[in-house]
Amino acid sequence: MRHLQAPPSGRSEGSFRVRLAALLAAGLIAAGLIAAGCSGASGGFTPVPSVGAGTTAPQTILPASPVPGAPTATPAASQSSAPTATPPTSATRSPSATPAPAAATPGATATPSTPVPSAAAVSYPLTLVDDEQNTVVIKVEPKRIVSITPATTEILFALGIGDRLIANTDADDYPPQVTKLPHVATYSSVDVEKIVGLEPDLVIAGGNDFNKPDALAQLRRLGIPVLVVYGPDIEGVLRDIGLVAQATGRPGPGSALVADLRSQFQAVRDATAGLPHPRTFYELDATKEIYGPADRSFIAEMIALAGGTPITTGSTTVFSIPLERLIAADPEVIVLGDSAYGTTPEIAAARPGWSTMTAVLSKAIRPIDDTIVTRPGPRLAEGLRALALAIHPGLVLPPAPTAGSGATGSSTPPAPAAPAASASAAPSASGY
Amino acid sequence: MVVRSDSILGPRPRAFARLRTRRAAAITTGVALLALALILGVGLGTVSVAPSETLGILARRVLGLPVAVTWSPSTEAIVMDLRLPRVLSAMVVGLGLAVAGATFQGLLRNPLADPYVLGTASGAALGAAIGVLIPIRFVFFEFGLLHALAFVGALVAVYVVYRLSRVGGLTAMTSLLLTGYAVGSVLAAGLAMAMYLSGANLRQIFFYLLGSLDGVSWQQFFVAGPIVVVTTVAILARARSLDGFLLGEEVAAHLGIDVRRERAILLSLAALLTAAAVTIAGLIGFVGLVVPHVVRLAVGPGARGVLPLSALFGAALLTFADLGARLLGEIPVGVVTALIGAPFFLFLLRNVRTGYEL
Repeated sequence: MRHLQAPPSGRSEGSFRVRLAALLAAGLIAAGLIAAGCSGASGGFTPVPSVGAGTTAPQTILPASPVPGAPTATPAASQSSAPTATPPTSATRSPSATPAPAAATPGATATPSTPVPSAAAVSYPLTLVDDEQNTVVIKVEPKRIVSITPATTEILFALGIGDRLIANTDADDYPPQVTKLPHVATYSSVDVEKIVGLEPDLVIAGGNDFNKPDALAQLRRLGIPVLVVYGPDIEGVLRDIGLVAQATGRPGPGSALVADLRSQFQAVRDATAGLPHPRTFYELDATKEIYGPADRSFIAEMIALAGGTPITTGSTTVFSIPLERLIAADPEVIVLGDSAYGTTPEIAAARPGWSTMTAVLSKAIRPIDDTIVTRPGPRLAEGLRALALAIHPGLVLPPAPTAGSGATGSSTPPAPAAPAASASAAPSASGY
Repeated sequence: MVVRSDSILGPRPRAFARLRTRRAAAITTGVALLALALILGVGLGTVSVAPSETLGILARRVLGLPVAVTWSPSTEAIVMDLRLPRVLSAMVVGLGLAVAGATFQGLLRNPLADPYVLGTASGAALGAAIGVLIPIRFVFFEFGLLHALAFVGALVAVYVVYRLSRVGGLTAMTSLLLTGYAVGSVLAAGLAMAMYLSGANLRQIFFYLLGSLDGVSWQQFFVAGPIVVVTTVAILARARSLDGFLLGEEVAAHLGIDVRRERAILLSLAALLTAAAVTIAGLIGFVGLVVPHVVRLAVGPGARGVLPLSALFGAALLTFADLGARLLGEIPVGVVTALIGAPFFLFLLRNVRTGYEL
């Protein structure tokens, strides 16, 4: 059914892309919705409205802001994140009513700020503005949290409060124990009634229509706080981690996690900085049309960070790439994001017309676990490492600072990262 | 679609008495089904609520009786703010679609006509798609830009079809049908293009096309409900004209019906019904096509019987279908209407005893 798939839409998680395919099989709609429980990694992602295209993207990770985002109106809460960063970086953003530009400070060096394992607790009631500019009032520290995107589930566990999660989606698969929780959302629906019945004190949802806006509006009408997160790029994901940390009263672990991720990104960037950047095509699907990263998309940013030159579709909203365009772009490396669906390098190499590509001739076609590359959560650093290794197989990366990044709260300070002096940290053009 | 027709003028006189009892029986059945649909629709859901609590909540909140509160606030919210508006909206939408379908079928004398026959569906869908693509957040009585443009799109499509159909040498009805098809095709092409360009917004458009009562609020019900009810009453008041059209426009004119005027009025009313239904629930197929036929099989083609009974059965069918959709995990309600309705319709067609014609 996968060949019917539409351009990946929304943010990608787990098997969602497969399910969109099922949906689009017009005659099989019902069967698709019920039965497409098959799981697997996937790829969809969204155009990045803000940061510059692929090659400029790396700079956006540089400024270290301990608690990204999390603009807050409650005075007490807003204090908690302010006194943090080391003086030289000066990239610390004081919380403000509007999201400040990510790469705000020109000349910011890449030195990751030392996170303060903040004792300053968030005070409730807490007022936040989420990624869709909704004002969210959280009355008490959330103890019964419903997460309806796989990525936010991972963020909660990475913040060490996985035990507060009471329900999630049927696409959640990490950490493994989350599959046992009640499922209150699927790719196509949110069971509002079930959520209300569970009496949560916070619902964390995905933006950009990842979860149906109607359902979220309904929850809000019933007085349940809904925090919508949507990170269109890596900086946005880091900001979302800070936002979730703020909302759940974990600003300290939040800034530690963000700094940790930043240093991991930086380590990969440093390791690949001096290497040639091969033209890299990240294949999302090619069973019928060929799907790859759109211009300025999340994956294009990841490829650039991982030391490749992304081959994109030539448009920010179109995800399919004509074979002619792909042949003309002549990828030197092909990364199979669809390997979870059974696509192998042999299958890809044998496709008609593909034999002339450099990647095929040099056998540089490599499978990857798509979930960690595209799911906008704390495992992105792991995904970036995997991607860097797929693009540069011989690359030696420093060991990951925190083992297995994820299931436990990472309150440990991050390993010192190489202070990339080469990073010019040009302010990103973006509003993020 | 003539099945053992008795005569072109409907059943013979001696069959009238029998028809009358059948009509009474059909009304009783319809009311009973609707009541059952209401009870089950409010009583069942993904969270199980004890019947006594459901009744208590309804008695307290709807009837204002002093019932002791034995339930949690979340249970009350589930019954009062999630299930009840949804069930009532399903009824209103089902009612509207079935009455609009019956009207279009009678007016166009075409058994395959449904509420979407004159481009309503494509117009609403294109409107909704444009609403999704325009990055403006707009909320009016809990209706977003998507809903507003869907409503406008449905009405504009019908208006354009109506105006375009009035030129040329074809008979009015043939011209309407063919124009509707042509305009619908153009709109469908526009929709396909909009979906192709929509990128990450594809999902939202797609779910609109599938149709669903998920997320309906009291506000939306209170806006769309009165439109549907008032329009339906207006159509019922014109049942006699509709009967005239069944005999053909010429005969209708001889019967003293102002054909052009009545046609325009009935078309507008049916289009308004469809637009209101489509605005809250998206595109739900099958109800408007099949329910009027089922009713005609039971009570004959007279509009005075067909219209109110279509309303009853349409409301009941959609409520049951929506309940099924909810319990099965929010599958598209159109799938359920077809799965419930089509086999039943086939059964009726095979067992038809009286003459059947449109």
